[in-house]
Amino acid sequence: MRAIWAYLILSLVLSACSGAGAESEAEFAPTCIEDLSGHSVALPGGSSTDLLVSSYPGIDIMRVSLGDIPIAVKSGRADFGLLQEVQFDANQMARQGFKKYFAGILRGSGAIAFRKDDVALCDEFNHFLRAMKASGEYDRWYNCWLHNLDSMTVEAGKRPAPQEGKKLIVGITLAHPYIFLQQDAITGIEPDLMNLFCRSAGYSPEYVIIQFPALIPSLNANKIDLILSHLLVTPERAKQVLFSDEYMEGGLCCFGVDPQWGASGGQGIWTRTKENIRHNLIEEDRWKLLGNGLIVTLELSLLSLLVAILLGILLCYLRMRPNAVISGTTRVFVDVVRGIPVLVILMIMFYVIFAKVNMSGVAVSIFGFGLFFGACFSEVFRSGMMSVDNGQWEAGAALGLNKMQTFRLVAFPQVLRRIIPVFKGEVIALIKSTSIVGYVAVLDLTCVGDIIRTRTLDAFFPLILVSIIYIILSRLSGGLLDALDRKLNASK
Amino acid sequence: MISVKHLSKVFNNGEKELTVLRDVNCEIAKGEVIGIIGPSGTGKSTFLRCLNRLEEPSGGQIEINGIDILDRKADVNLLRRKMGMVFQNFNLFHHLTILDNITLCPCTLLGKSRKEAEIRAMELLQLVGLYDKAGSLPSELSGGQKQRAAIARCLAMDPEIILFDEPTSALDPTMVSEVLVVIRRLAREGMTMAIVSHEMQFVRSVSTRIFFMNEGVIYEEGSPEQIFEHPQRPATIAFVNRIRTLEFKLADKHFDLYGMFGEVGIFCNKYGLGNDMLMKVQHVMEETLYGILPFDGAVTLTLDYSEKDFTLRLLFTEDGCTTSVLDRLPGDFLPLKIVQGMCASLRETETGKILVEM
Repeated sequence: MRAIWAYLILSLVLSACSGAGAESEAEFAPTCIEDLSGHSVALPGGSSTDLLVSSYPGIDIMRVSLGDIPIAVKSGRADFGLLQEVQFDANQMARQGFKKYFAGILRGSGAIAFRKDDVALCDEFNHFLRAMKASGEYDRWYNCWLHNLDSMTVEAGKRPAPQEGKKLIVGITLAHPYIFLQQDAITGIEPDLMNLFCRSAGYSPEYVIIQFPALIPSLNANKIDLILSHLLVTPERAKQVLFSDEYMEGGLCCFGVDPQWGASGGQGIWTRTKENIRHNLIEEDRWKLLGNGLIVTLELSLLSLLVAILLGILLCYLRMRPNAVISGTTRVFVDVVRGIPVLVILMIMFYVIFAKVNMSGVAVSIFGFGLFFGACFSEVFRSGMMSVDNGQWEAGAALGLNKMQTFRLVAFPQVLRRIIPVFKGEVIALIKSTSIVGYVAVLDLTCVGDIIRTRTLDAFFPLILVSIIYIILSRLSGGLLDALDRKLNASK
Repeated sequence: MISVKHLSKVFNNGEKELTVLRDVNCEIAKGEVIGIIGPSGTGKSTFLRCLNRLEEPSGGQIEINGIDILDRKADVNLLRRKMGMVFQNFNLFHHLTILDNITLCPCTLLGKSRKEAEIRAMELLQLVGLYDKAGSLPSELSGGQKQRAAIARCLAMDPEIILFDEPTSALDPTMVSEVLVVIRRLAREGMTMAIVSHEMQFVRSVSTRIFFMNEGVIYEEGSPEQIFEHPQRPATIAFVNRIRTLEFKLADKHFDLYGMFGEVGIFCNKYGLGNDMLMKVQHVMEETLYGILPFDGAVTLTLDYSEKDFTLRLLFTEDGCTTSVLDRLPGDFLPLKIVQGMCASLRETETGKILVEM
């Protein structure tokens, strides 16, 4: 426990020092995309921005998730960032040390994407939108959002998502101010519009957070009913999805670190640490979010562990059958599963195998981790079984014990003692592996850390905090197994 | 008590078949102590392991107290409770103390209470001389102590017969006797036992009957005195007298004498025959092969050395010899004189067969 406190203090101090950011150079002010040649630019991977910028030579493209763009620029990893102008303005990024250089790139319109065959739902939404535009209500509402973000957020908070009616699963990607988390609730320009639509048409929306590149595959795999993610209408996307009427205009702006910023470094370490805690945890009750993420991670780890142990025992049993066909098939199965990265297994399960089945991301993840670690565990168990020499089985048999009794009374206690050290490593690996479930729309600890990061534009503190929680989890699970090991060794 | 008929066992590892037991027939009565001896690889251990079905026999019949144990319906586990087995490698349960090793099965299988089983276990530990080791783990014991503990574990099941599978082969020579003493004590108390062992003196003194196994059958059986003093069949005689053999087949006179000398040198060295003896043997070989034998046909030379009475014999056999070899030579023929001067006796046992005893 003392060690954990040491980590905590160390990280807080580090995080306080981390504000230094990028070193300022002589100001270089680009005015168009061509000017960016020879510089690194952070932008969302797989987006239309990506396609556009890739067509210019000499630009060093850094593909990060949407929310990480300001962080990449602030930390100096990228010289410039490309973001929707609306995001830059609404976030008041100019007050956080960023400077807008030029705008008007990739002007286009955002729309909702539906499945190709879901014409009825699309029409229903279009109808709603046209009526709203015709009455002038739409413009009023939209401008309010752009200019009075804070009061509109409070306003929208009073219009929660309707709970009654047919369920609509809405795939979203977080990007302030379009869509963001406000005290556990999804809010922002787009959810507000969606809630208005649902209320008038009698639906109840359920928002699912998905990585941006996975949105369209999820839609086509029936995991979600529509994509609400300020998706620009492009001909390529129009081939895969059905777009609604456009409901917002947009364009990118190019920004960088404001060279005049940064004179505020005079605060003491303690003040800055306090400021970090307030900013990242207390504000908007972000600690609650973190708590929920922790619960999801714990739940995932425990259930996956259970599934993996059961599957591992089964695979180990099959692998050790004398029948060559059964043991051979099992061996190939275990080799194949262990040969695929666990993230890829998870994606295959989510987007291919269980695409047509209505299964939550958590359930799929438990299944995926159970499968992968079951295969790993089976080999651990098998090596344990192999270490029990044949003489032990024979001695049991010669005394009149049957196979099962010999296993239970003689082999198993020896196996257990031998595999615990290896098993401990595997369990810790499992807990840490759960950090990738963000890819299948599960909000775990890591994912929550990302959300906080994109909101506060502070990379260091949330990442370190999340790391510390993982360290504590690993130490606790390792400690439990160590205690079991000690108990076994004491009784022998 | 046990009746075995036409028992056979063939090991099959995919492509190769290995017949270990061909046709074993025997009866074992209550109270007998059967010593099973024979050269390595003749199926002694396999035979023992077939009796409690640790190896599945390939054919034949085994009846114990009138019940056919190879029957599908036979309860093997029940059978094994009544047949203890002591292994070459002890096979104590590594994770349990000596006391727990002994009480595990009585508690699990015989329904004894923990207390009851412990009282009995302590009696047995007293019997094998390990009373103070009850709380030790097997890894803390010496080989001899482990084997005595294994015997105690076996006895705790109150078996009707105990099978000993080379109980002292894995032991340091200094620890052999402590185990043998325990087995001897069991024999004195009337326990029925079958013992596979290479400790000849021990087997001879403890057994009531000896099975000599060779090439997958019980080649000869009888009382210890019959087998050890008056063996009837050649393999038994060679085994009991511990005769070591070296054989050469020479097609004609142009054989490789020095190559042979080299092999004889290794042979003599291996069985501790000194340099003097080696020189003599080489002389006898040279004089006999070049001087005494007519060497018209092929010649076979056999060296027999008995480790029991330390005698070395050379037998020269010439094929297709019709007239006596020695009779045609004059009495003062020099090579003959030389050989006679070096050996204890020289005789022509049959026509063309010369036996030299060193």
